[in-house]
Amino acid sequence: MNRKNLLTDLKAYGISNLFAVGAIGINKYFIIDTHIDAGGVFVFSEFIIIPMLMGIISAWFWRNSELSGREMIGKSFMNGCITIVLASIFLGEGVICLIIVSPLLFASIIIGAFIGRAMFRRKNNTLNISIVGLMLIVFVTDSLSEHHYENMVSDTIVVNAPPQQVWKNVVAFKRIKEKNKYWLFKIGMPSPVESTVEGYYLGAKRKCIFSNGYTFDEKIVTYDENKNLTFAITNQPRDPEIMGHIDIEQGQFLLKDNGNGTTTLVGNSWYKLYVFPTWYYDTWAQSITRNVHLRVMEHIKELSEAK
Amino acid sequence: MFTFVTQHLGFLKSVPTLGWLFDGWLKLWTYFNKPILLDWMDEIEAEVLRWQHTTSVIHKYGGMQFNYKGREIGHIHSNGLLDMLMSRSVKAQLMPDGRISDHHTFKNTGWISFCIRSVSDKDYALALLRMGFDRLAEKDVMLNLFQHPKC
Repeated sequence: MNRKNLLTDLKAYGISNLFAVGAIGINKYFIIDTHIDAGGVFVFSEFIIIPMLMGIISAWFWRNSELSGREMIGKSFMNGCITIVLASIFLGEGVICLIIVSPLLFASIIIGAFIGRAMFRRKNNTLNISIVGLMLIVFVTDSLSEHHYENMVSDTIVVNAPPQQVWKNVVAFKRIKEKNKYWLFKIGMPSPVESTVEGYYLGAKRKCIFSNGYTFDEKIVTYDENKNLTFAITNQPRDPEIMGHIDIEQGQFLLKDNGNGTTTLVGNSWYKLYVFPTWYYDTWAQSITRNVHLRVMEHIKELSEAK
Repeated sequence: MFTFVTQHLGFLKSVPTLGWLFDGWLKLWTYFNKPILLDWMDEIEAEVLRWQHTTSVIHKYGGMQFNYKGREIGHIHSNGLLDMLMSRSVKAQLMPDGRISDHHTFKNTGWISFCIRSVSDKDYALALLRMGFDRLAEKDVMLNLFQHPKC
C-alpha cells in the first residue's frame, strides 16, 4: 500500500468515526435529554443511519481509488472494527454488548460504503445532497421521537415432582453447578447461579446472584404458596453489559399441579428495552431471558426430582 | 441460510433497511468465505456497464441491480445469486439444462434464479444478463416503432 492510499484510508476512518462520535454525542446531550426517555436510550438511527452515513463518508474519500467490491468490504470491515473499539472507550460498552451490536454496525457501514460508491460514481450532487439530507432528517426525527418498549418472555417445563416439592426450590435455590450450555454464557455473559431469600412470606427480600457476583435485589410481591411466586426487581447491578440497555422489571414462577405427581412450571419475566430497533435487540433480549429462565428452571427441576 | 431466510423470513423485507442489512451480512460472509465471488461480481458489473444505456444501482432489498434505460435486467445478491425476469418461453427453453431454477420466491413466473459458484457460472450469468438486455432493447425498439412509425 502506498503512502497516498494509506493517508486516504486514515482520513476515511478518522473522519467517518469522528462524525459518528459527534452525532451520537449531540444526540445524547442535546436531543434525547430533552424528552422523557432521558438516559441510556440508543435509537435505531444510531445503529443503522449513522453507520450508513459513516460508510458514505468513507466512500467519499475512496471515490477516486477505484476500489474493488472486495477491497471496499475489507476497508469497511476495518472501519467497523475501529468504531467498536471507540464504542468501548467512549461509551463504556462491555464485550458482550459489542458482540451483539457488531452485526448491525458492520452491515450498515458496508451498505453505506456501497451506497456512497454508487452516489459518487454518478457525480450528481443534487441527488447526493438529497440522499444524505434525507438520512439526516430520519436521524433527527428518530432521535426526537419517544421510544418505549416493554415485553414479556414466558417458558414452561414439566417437573416430575408435586408442587409442594417444587415450591421450596422456586423461592430459593442452592448454587447451580451445571456447566453453561448457552453460547453467550460460555463466552462470559453473567449467568444466574443462586437465589437466596430472607423468608418464605409476602414482602420478603430475595436476591438473584449471577456468576460474576452481581446481584439483582428483588422483593416478593405475590406469595401464593405452591402456585404463584411473583417478585419485583428493586435494584439491578451496574454492569456495562446491561446498564441502560434493559431493565428487568418483574419475574414470576407459576406452578400448576398436573394431578399425576408432576408440576408444570412456568417462568415469566417482564422487561423494558432501551435499545432500538426492537426487531433486532428484542430478538437478543428474548434469547438471553429465555436462557436465564431455562438455566434456573432446569436447576429447579433437578433439585425437585432428586430423591 | 439464504434459502431459509427468503422462504421463512421473507415477510421481514418490508421492515425498512432490513433487506439492505441482510445483503450487508451476505457481503461480509462472502468476503470471508468466498472472496473470489466478489471479484466475479465486479467483472460482471464492468461488462454489463459496457452495454449501451445500462446502469447499476443498489437493489431495493440489497445487492447489485442492472438496468437498461431504468428498467431492471436483473440483480445479483451478495451471495452470488442472480435473479432476473425472462419471457416464459425462454425460461421454459433454459430450464431443462438444469442450470437455472425457478426464482427463490416467485415460482410460477418468468423470474429465474441462478447461483454463481465458478468462473464458468460467471460467464453463464453474463450470457443470461445479455439475453435480458437484448429482450429489453428489442422491446424498446418495437415501442419506438409503434410510437413513431416510419411511413
